[in-house]
Amino acid sequence: MAANTLGGTTPRKPVLSVSARKIKDNAADWHNLILKWETLNDTGFATANKIANLKISLWSEDKTELQSSSPASREDADKRLPEYSKELEALCEELQTTYDALAKIQMKMEKLSSTTKGVCELEDYHYRDGRHRPPLFHTWPTAYFYEVSRKLSDMYQKELLLKRTVIEELAHTMDHDLTLSYLSMWLHQPYVETNSKLLLESMLLETGHRAL
Amino acid sequence: MAQDQPLLAVREALRGCFPAVQEQQRRWRGALGDCQPLLAALGSLAEQLQAAQVARLDDAPPLRAFPGLRERLRRKQLEAGDDVLDKLGETLATLLKVRDVVSRHVEQVFEVYEQHADAIGIDAVQRASAVSPSVADMLEWLQDIERHYRNAYLKRKYLLSSIQWGDLANIQALPKAWDQISEDEHQSLVQDTLLNVSFFLEE
Repeated sequence: MAANTLGGTTPRKPVLSVSARKIKDNAADWHNLILKWETLNDTGFATANKIANLKISLWSEDKTELQSSSPASREDADKRLPEYSKELEALCEELQTTYDALAKIQMKMEKLSSTTKGVCELEDYHYRDGRHRPPLFHTWPTAYFYEVSRKLSDMYQKELLLKRTVIEELAHTMDHDLTLSYLSMWLHQPYVETNSKLLLESMLLETGHRAL
Repeated sequence: MAQDQPLLAVREALRGCFPAVQEQQRRWRGALGDCQPLLAALGSLAEQLQAAQVARLDDAPPLRAFPGLRERLRRKQLEAGDDVLDKLGETLATLLKVRDVVSRHVEQVFEVYEQHADAIGIDAVQRASAVSPSVADMLEWLQDIERHYRNAYLKRKYLLSSIQWGDLANIQALPKAWDQISEDEHQSLVQDTLLNVSFFLEE
């Protein structure tokens, strides 16, 4: 009832421009969040790379130890192993910290999607009588902003899940090809599809952040 | 004095050409330097593609929750590879430009020489001094340099055109094959020639 009164008395245009402002801010947020994600992805890759290299050197040490199991070299290896595992642990913690930051970004992406959905619902309410809806900017219907937001959110959500698995497996797998593939997955982000760049750029273009 | 005029014209043309070659040599070296990290990146990508093929990602238990992962990863790896190839294409275009600019300069010198060849006479062409090599030698060196850039460009273009994602072993061997080209070349040819003409240029 209160909402009804509000809808009836408030002039339509200010409500819409508030929506447009919100959508425009969201587009800028998307841009910044994806930039931050990419930086963190690079940081995480550098750490993951160190983990993989450390493990490979551990393996080769194991092998040489098997080949020449003289008491002296065994002693050396025993001394070095705790140092290695300490270093490995520190690197794993570092990677976890990066992951946590990525997870935070992904949560913010989800939030962007849900506020965009809110704007859509508000518009549905205003135009519930089926009148023609003018676009907020140039050509996109408001619902399309949500669609794009949702698509992007889903990509990054899936990617975050994959990164979780990479972290869990990287330090434990003994297979060289799998290790390399985990690194490659972290770097190339197979669930962030190539068209995500296009989606983001067209959103920035539509909202006027990028000049036509 | 009027008799020396044709010889002076050729020497003047030579004096303009060598600094231009030096400038192009700088560009050439710069472009080759840009290629090194790109070739390394390509080699690394080939290794990653190979590993992902062998690792059977879709069967690894922790990865079962990710449908189509192997294909997706492969697609992204290949896209990254194409980006690198594009950049390599750009540096190859720079090498081609160097080759053409050098050719043009050398050609101009020869045009001047041919205009005056009869007037100069064979003795003057072959005469060297304490500070200046003979015109004949310098012309020959320029031809050598031009040939050097032609061959060097062609070998690299041929190597890069052999890249196919279906042949990962070849891509992994690429950085080495690239270095081999440089090793086989008379790398200091341009530098040595410029050293030989340094007094002549300052004359």
